Amino acid sequence: MEKTATFSIAGLTFDWNVVISTLVVVAVVFLLALWTSRKLVLKPAGKSKQNMLEWVIDFTNNIVDGSLPNKTGNGLKFFIFSLFLFIFVGNQLGVAFTVAVNGDTFLNSPTANPLVTMTLALIAISIAHFLGVEKQGFKNYFKSVYLSPFSVLLPLNLIEQFTSFLTLGLRLFGNIFAGEMVLSLLWQLAQSAGVVSFVPAFVLTIIWQAFSLFIGAIQAFVFVTLTTVYVSEKTE
Amino acid sequence: MFNQIVLAGASEGLALGNMLFVLVAFLVLMLLLKKYAWGPVVKMMEKRAEKVAHDLDTAQDAREEAEKMAAQRAEQLQSARSEANGIVADAKEAANQQRDKIVEDAQKDAQAAKDQAGAQIAQERSEAMADIKSDVAELSVTIAQKIIQKELKLDDQKALIDAYIEGLGKK
Repeated sequence: MEKTATFSIAGLTFDWNVVISTLVVVAVVFLLALWTSRKLVLKPAGKSKQNMLEWVIDFTNNIVDGSLPNKTGNGLKFFIFSLFLFIFVGNQLGVAFTVAVNGDTFLNSPTANPLVTMTLALIAISIAHFLGVEKQGFKNYFKSVYLSPFSVLLPLNLIEQFTSFLTLGLRLFGNIFAGEMVLSLLWQLAQSAGVVSFVPAFVLTIIWQAFSLFIGAIQAFVFVTLTTVYVSEKTE
Repeated sequence: MFNQIVLAGASEGLALGNMLFVLVAFLVLMLLLKKYAWGPVVKMMEKRAEKVAHDLDTAQDAREEAEKMAAQRAEQLQSARSEANGIVADAKEAANQQRDKIVEDAQKDAQAAKDQAGAQIAQERSEAMADIKSDVAELSVTIAQKIIQKELKLDDQKALIDAYIEGLGKK
């Protein structure tokens, strides 16, 4: 986990770990969505895959409507849907697979990497601020976000905006990173004393994986919910 | 991992490269999802919502229509029933009249027949009486001739018989 293999293109350095994990997540999300959206019908049967996709869409749409029941929210629905799927699948990826070669991790949850989660947080927060300016005009946006309730609170508001960005990314990173950390510790425990430690570590791993699935789902939900809340804060 | 954040400041290349990669990958994912999953599915969902709304409207119209027709039917049924009642009542009245007339006619006919029969009987009786009178007269003359072997004058005889029959009639 500590060490990663890197490569450089045009002066930019890339992490193999981040690149591979992100690509796998993108591929999985896309293939899942593609598979569930084939042969669409007006009236899907009881347990069709179309219903599954529509359930996810309804779920994320409801999250958006919870804090943004307006036109802004409607425009945001697709972004929230994609974000939710990306984070959800990203969170679960490391629960099932972690591939490391010679101590270099190549595949795990991309969301266990702070750079990835901060990027996602940056996208979300940028959209929130952008929409704030777009809906209210720069003057009103500045007033309502940085100078309310009193203009004296400008420094506090600046800090608040920055911390909301920071916590949005770090919360996700912390949860998923901790989950993976425990899984790798359990793997070390399993290796430590043969069968004596392997069996209990195996059981504990199953339990922890179940918990991580739950945490991963909750964190994906929290991330998108907070995104909609931030957007609604800036646009109203 | 926190080293990485600290490092991000020092070696900007690593942070920037990874962040750019994630950003681009996410944007590509959004494009793909929009084109292949979200777009068609949302379109289908909208179509469904539209259809449901349309079907509900149609059902509402159909129900109103049905209610209207039911009311119309009830009204027609009511009028037909009253009409039928009128017809039955008329027919009953006509039948009553006809019955009365028939009975009256029959009584009249019967009376006439009775009267006629009575008259005929009376006439026949008087004719028969007259026949009997003459027959008895002749018969008694013949009998008397035979019995007394004595010729009587027909007129005397007749007077005698008449007196006798007169006596019978009084009895």
